[in-house]
Amino acid sequence: MKRSPLFLMLAGIWMAAGPSPVIAQEDFDLDRIPDTQPATSDETSRDVGTAQQNKIFLEDALGLTGRRNNLVVPSPSAHQPDVQARSSLDVTAHRDWADGLSATLSDRLDLSWRNDLDVSSHRSIANDFREAYLTWEPVSQTYVESGRVNLRNGSALGFNPTDFFKTRSLVNQTNLDPSALRNNRLGTFMVHAQRLWSDGSAGLAFGPKLADASPLTGTDPGGFDVRSGRTNAEDRMLVSLTQDIGDFSPQALFYHEADRTRWGLNLSHPVGQSIIAYGEWAGGRQASGVAEAVAFGKRTGTLPTTAPVPASADSAVSFKNDLALGASWTGSEKVTVNAEYHLHQAGLSRRDLRDWFASSARGAPSLANELWYVRSFAADQQNPLVRHQIFLRADWTDAVISHLELSAFAFISLYDGSSQTQLAASYDLSDHWSMGLYAAANLGGAQSEHGSFPQSASLTMQVIRYF
Amino acid sequence: MVLALLLVTGTAQAQTAQELVTASDAVRNPGHPFRLTNTLAEYVGGKPRDKVVLVVFAREDKSTRQFSNLVRYAEPARDQGKLVLLDGAKMWFYDPASKASIRISPQQRLIGQASNGDVVSVNLARDYQASLTGTETLQDADRQPRDCWHLDLAASTADAIYSRIEYWIEKGSNRPVKGKFYSDSGRLLKIAYYRKYETQLEGVRPTETIIIDAVDPNLVTIMTMTDYRFQDIPDAWFQRDFLPRLRVEE
Repeated sequence: MKRSPLFLMLAGIWMAAGPSPVIAQEDFDLDRIPDTQPATSDETSRDVGTAQQNKIFLEDALGLTGRRNNLVVPSPSAHQPDVQARSSLDVTAHRDWADGLSATLSDRLDLSWRNDLDVSSHRSIANDFREAYLTWEPVSQTYVESGRVNLRNGSALGFNPTDFFKTRSLVNQTNLDPSALRNNRLGTFMVHAQRLWSDGSAGLAFGPKLADASPLTGTDPGGFDVRSGRTNAEDRMLVSLTQDIGDFSPQALFYHEADRTRWGLNLSHPVGQSIIAYGEWAGGRQASGVAEAVAFGKRTGTLPTTAPVPASADSAVSFKNDLALGASWTGSEKVTVNAEYHLHQAGLSRRDLRDWFASSARGAPSLANELWYVRSFAADQQNPLVRHQIFLRADWTDAVISHLELSAFAFISLYDGSSQTQLAASYDLSDHWSMGLYAAANLGGAQSEHGSFPQSASLTMQVIRYF
Repeated sequence: MVLALLLVTGTAQAQTAQELVTASDAVRNPGHPFRLTNTLAEYVGGKPRDKVVLVVFAREDKSTRQFSNLVRYAEPARDQGKLVLLDGAKMWFYDPASKASIRISPQQRLIGQASNGDVVSVNLARDYQASLTGTETLQDADRQPRDCWHLDLAASTADAIYSRIEYWIEKGSNRPVKGKFYSDSGRLLKIAYYRKYETQLEGVRPTETIIIDAVDPNLVTIMTMTDYRFQDIPDAWFQRDFLPRLRVEE
């Protein structure tokens, strides 16, 4: 290595001068190094592979719910539990076999108790058969999966227009945070093929119709039913294409199901050191959410065939957009904040909501029932009820003390300022034990989107043991 | 003429300092794609508190000399299977429980133990402009005196994680001995000591890095690198859609 004469001369001067006081100060850092025996090679290289991998945990949750009296629109579900307890065994297992073949299983068994339900009822046991599929890699970077697969898309946090397989997939939840809701959902029976190349990928998924659509409420079989009437009630197809272009990580999607076709696009881009901007759009021809909900209710027998469609409901099929635009910001103190705007063009307008509250309050019980049904339908589809809303979320990792995570989120209606909010604290007691506390509330006036819910607040405590 | 001479020799000196950093980078990082197991033991007040085990896949882009990393959590059990992709401006976090791939910012990269990888497999010569501060006899992590070049590294690309690094490289061997990493505001963030040099992947490399948190004076992380292997890592691995596909052989 060549070094200039001046470099060597300067180095010589430094050496002749001897160690400076700065050096002694540098050595103070050594006093902070703990006196310890490092991990041995055997300890550190254990269980790092994925050839045989299991993730198993037990979860106990106890929830208390507070209720409102004098609802503007009476809820047809008069008997809801005030106290619920649930114990869950959650298992995810993966095995690699020869010739690029592997198997994945994801399942959850819930044992529930509610103060309005006898423990001997079959509905107190429910098994969520989330995933079970084989993966084959016939040639490098080409994958074929077959079975029940949880295929997820979308870059946003509070609302994912391009997550086309999200509909009717949610099962029991402890934490209402959208980032946690996805942890426990049903996959779709499908064949999925994907090809990856250096800076992109293409995928094709087809999920056949295996059962008639199951009703939305009341007769969920629970037990060990795989609930294919939720996830495979129609032939479903998704085509996706991802290609890195200018740090935007674009992903284009095409989805088709029965008489519905949707196009989708995901984009994300870093802005400076602390911000990620992202956007997610889907669009296609469809009727309004109310018209779709009522039609679904009639088709599955939950609503009478003579059920009226509210005058304000738009049953005409037209091109409608879903959009989530947002950004995340991370500060130096391990705080991350997300802010998103959600557009759901098929949702209720301000006038729709106001008129419906007014007519239901005037004593039209069938419309009241439909309002609650439409709400349940929107939640089941994981779509907003109204057209415009804001989503805010803040997360603080290692808050105050290490391993304590504090988070809060709010869905805020842009029509009336009402909100669904949750404050959460989770703490990792050790590598194997975690606990969480979740306090949620529906805030707003009696005739507001969120203030009209019968549940005013809830408190849930959770303990998890990982194995 | 004196000014011209100073300019010329100054440039030569800077180039030489840069060469030292390049040589030191080669000591830490093999020239071919590789994987290793990184065990991070966290100590608070000198007492062990946490252990995280990561499997790190690293590959240098020969044209840009930038390292790309795939980091997979093997322990603790609650984080098993989570992945972090670090590839220039492309940074993603993947959680197998939710199947969610979330794009993360450079600032988010600094949250979590995976961030400590940036004092391991990174080409400092690529992202920093080095200048010689002087030579010093410095005690290494085992309190052995080492004759070192003391260099000052200033961020020169947008990819640089730290604004400034003080770096001590042992004369002759070009082994890194110590680094001090600073934020944009000049705040000292972490201090790193490199030790336990062993022959791994065709070179003598530090298999242990001690990271002293300069913000929390009680916090020290010891990173132990084991199970070094050369590994074929295709381009297709460094993208969001590959993350659910990563399989780690025993």
